[in-house]
Amino acid sequence: MATLIDAPPPTVAAPISKSAGGGLGRYILIRFLLIFPTIFILVTLVFFLMRITGDPITAAQGGRLPQEQIDALVHQAGYDRNLFIQYIEYLGHIATGNFGRTISDGRPVIEMLAKFGAATLELSINAVMVALLVGIPLGMFAAHKRDKVPDAVLRMFAILCYATPVFFAGLLLKLTFSVGLGWFPVAGRASTTTELAMGRLAAPTGVYWLDALRSGNLAAFGDIVHHAVLPAVALGLLTAGVFLRLVRTNVIGTLGRDYVEAGRSRGVSEYRLVTKHAYKPALIPIITVMGLQIALLLGGAVLTETTFEWKGLGYQLAQYLTARDFVAVQGIVMLLAVIVAITNFAVDIAAALIDPRVRY
Amino acid sequence: MTKSTKALRSAIALAGVSAFALTACTGPSGGGGGGSTASENASSVIAYGTTDKVTALDPAGSYDNGSFMVMNQIYSFLLNSKPGGADPVPDLAESSSFTKPTEFTVKLKSDLKWANGHVLDSKDVKFSFDRQTAINDPNGPASLLSNIDSIATPDASTVVFTLKNANDQTFPQILTSPAAPIVDDEVFPADKLLSDEEIVKANAFHGQYIIDSYNKNTLVSLKAWPDYKGVLGKPANAGATIKYYTDQTNMKLEVKGGQIDVANRSLSATDIDDLKKDSSVTVHVGPGGEMRYIVFNFDTMPYGAKAPEADPKKALAVRQAAANLIDRQAISDQVYKGTYLPMWSNVPSGFVGANESFKQAYGDGSGKPSLDKAKKVMSDAGITGPVTIKLQYNPDHYGKSSGDEYAMVKDQLEKSGLFTVDLQSTEWVTYNSASKKDSYPVFQLGWFPDFSDADNYLTPFFVRGGFMNNHYSNSEVETLIAKQLVTADKAEREKTIQEVQNLLAKDISTLPLLQGAQVAVSGTKVKGVDSTLDASFKFRLGTVSK
Repeated sequence: MATLIDAPPPTVAAPISKSAGGGLGRYILIRFLLIFPTIFILVTLVFFLMRITGDPITAAQGGRLPQEQIDALVHQAGYDRNLFIQYIEYLGHIATGNFGRTISDGRPVIEMLAKFGAATLELSINAVMVALLVGIPLGMFAAHKRDKVPDAVLRMFAILCYATPVFFAGLLLKLTFSVGLGWFPVAGRASTTTELAMGRLAAPTGVYWLDALRSGNLAAFGDIVHHAVLPAVALGLLTAGVFLRLVRTNVIGTLGRDYVEAGRSRGVSEYRLVTKHAYKPALIPIITVMGLQIALLLGGAVLTETTFEWKGLGYQLAQYLTARDFVAVQGIVMLLAVIVAITNFAVDIAAALIDPRVRY
Repeated sequence: MTKSTKALRSAIALAGVSAFALTACTGPSGGGGGGSTASENASSVIAYGTTDKVTALDPAGSYDNGSFMVMNQIYSFLLNSKPGGADPVPDLAESSSFTKPTEFTVKLKSDLKWANGHVLDSKDVKFSFDRQTAINDPNGPASLLSNIDSIATPDASTVVFTLKNANDQTFPQILTSPAAPIVDDEVFPADKLLSDEEIVKANAFHGQYIIDSYNKNTLVSLKAWPDYKGVLGKPANAGATIKYYTDQTNMKLEVKGGQIDVANRSLSATDIDDLKKDSSVTVHVGPGGEMRYIVFNFDTMPYGAKAPEADPKKALAVRQAAANLIDRQAISDQVYKGTYLPMWSNVPSGFVGANESFKQAYGDGSGKPSLDKAKKVMSDAGITGPVTIKLQYNPDHYGKSSGDEYAMVKDQLEKSGLFTVDLQSTEWVTYNSASKKDSYPVFQLGWFPDFSDADNYLTPFFVRGGFMNNHYSNSEVETLIAKQLVTADKAEREKTIQEVQNLLAKDISTLPLLQGAQVAVSGTKVKGVDSTLDASFKFRLGTVSK
């Protein structure tokens, strides 16, 4: 982590050589096409890794049923057939959006993914907002106060942020601000009243604060934000620490450039140099690193959701893992992998749009 | 109820008695809270929290506490029990009785309707039981209906069950069990399960409540249904929400903070102990049917039939020595903080015929261990050195405290110098099947009853080898179990059940250790929780008000 943060700026996505053709359109096309083999490899890996331990029904039943009944269920589900044929069928099914049904509670996997994916998306958006709101201003401030006490304090704060396990941070925040001070709710995405209201909204996106805003229910919006603060901070601080160090390093690097030196010699204040001239170039690597952080964020969401009863994909993943429901687990892992692949694609495009050097 | 262990004992005894003798006199017919208090508070909505999960709302597709708890609020049964007891009384039925030894006839109440307006008649009843058997879902309770041969519906209000075995005294209890909620034949398919969402959408309910909003295993909202005609009557509240937790600590904090009114199933022993000292909540305890016990595999245990140096007398001495040494009270106090109580027989206290056969036969006679008696049985059998026991327990199915429980058992056995215990644990995924395949000579199991009758602790365990497959067989025990099953006279049945327990205590096929209590925690202003913590083990939200 330290190597990544202290690396010289602006290291971004690997540039495509001119011999590859260049041009934004071609760059986007190649990056887009790369998504498919990535997802294909992930799907294959997940499928076969899940089957190392045997068929999903035997794993989920855990010996509760007589062997004959398990055999009948395995046969009925087709898990006793050739594994390669099952794999080809599985590919066919997911190509048409059919992920099957969960073994433990029989619900369609695709519905489960849509419902709980929205909750995880909401938590991730909240966490990214915390990371940006905390990491960028504090990083710029630390650069402005370079080698002074505030800088040292902020650097220590950054290290604490990304070195503290997310479940520990969550627990600490909960104990302090929920149990101790009583400022925030202990668990959940909203109070019961709001949860019921959200369930009754005609066309909810599943992202509660968005649904509340769309329906103009400001009381519900306030309640949702109130519930979202601690989980978002617990998860967002992990990335905020990375952003803080990255912004600080890049701003300091930019402040040493000739054009900034020229500004300085003309009597432009240090504050103005940081806020007007150095911050833009310093933000470019943030976008690239954000792509890398998405995977970390989703990993952290599993722990944060469990700590705060935030019923999203991470929470469900823990439930289904306990139940040995590998059909559900396979679906969730697949979706998370697809999100990471697509996010990285989006980040690559954003980086290319902001910094033309990326695509040449 | 109070918060002490002493009170827990009293609760179990009292509720047990009330369950089987005085049901008609206990609990308000209106569902619990009752009287003016109930009507005053009937406008409020109760918030209930649990860590249990719903597998399915379709009675054919689930056989677990989480699903059954919701079913008890939204479906009716032919027979059910009033809050305060477990005796089956007419629910949808107007009357019910054995009309022949193999014929159980039920007359339905008139003008029954489902919440969706469909007619509820004998067709629905026959359909409900037939589809249970036809679907026979692996997660379902169809096995409980094995004694039903056929069902006839001579008219719209009469149902006649023809049974395979005559005079089955457990049959009325089976009609109150998870296999017996009645479902709407115009909504549910006959040969497959119906999803929760479709059940909710079809409003296919006849219970104290209908489901107003359903977010599976997250939040369920129930609304009192005014046209309910069952035995539980009008609920003492306007509705209820059921909030699902994964982390019991979150549930504990929310009941302390007043975000939920009642927390039930399951808080840890430590949490309950902590909450007992908290003035902002009340801890309620009631009788529990849960049992924790050690199984001896008669083939593979030390000196077992297929073990090296096989010797039935020595094998019996090993079991008797263990029975003399185990200190149940210490486990109850130190590991479970009084949330499980010592259990001295195979039938838990509170059930018809339950006695304390192990207490009389082993230890010092008052429940404490006896090293001298343990040494004597071992030396009388000619066992000189310490016996090595491979003792298996499961760390993930019976709660987090199993590790502490079995560490204590090991310590108690080894302290005597008579045993060396090789303590091992295996995850449930393999544990359950391995235990039935002779893999473990001595091992832990637990039991939660299918229905509230003493027989549920006897037939599944000790007839034709039992589900444990531990190779125990005693024809006298089997004859007596078969006899009590068809004995209509209560006193005679009770005597027979006691005889069975005494024989089992001599043989020690299993060594009963602990009996669990039902524990619920509520806000101090919440009323009616005690009314539902009875020997039926059904939590009825309709009794609760605030």
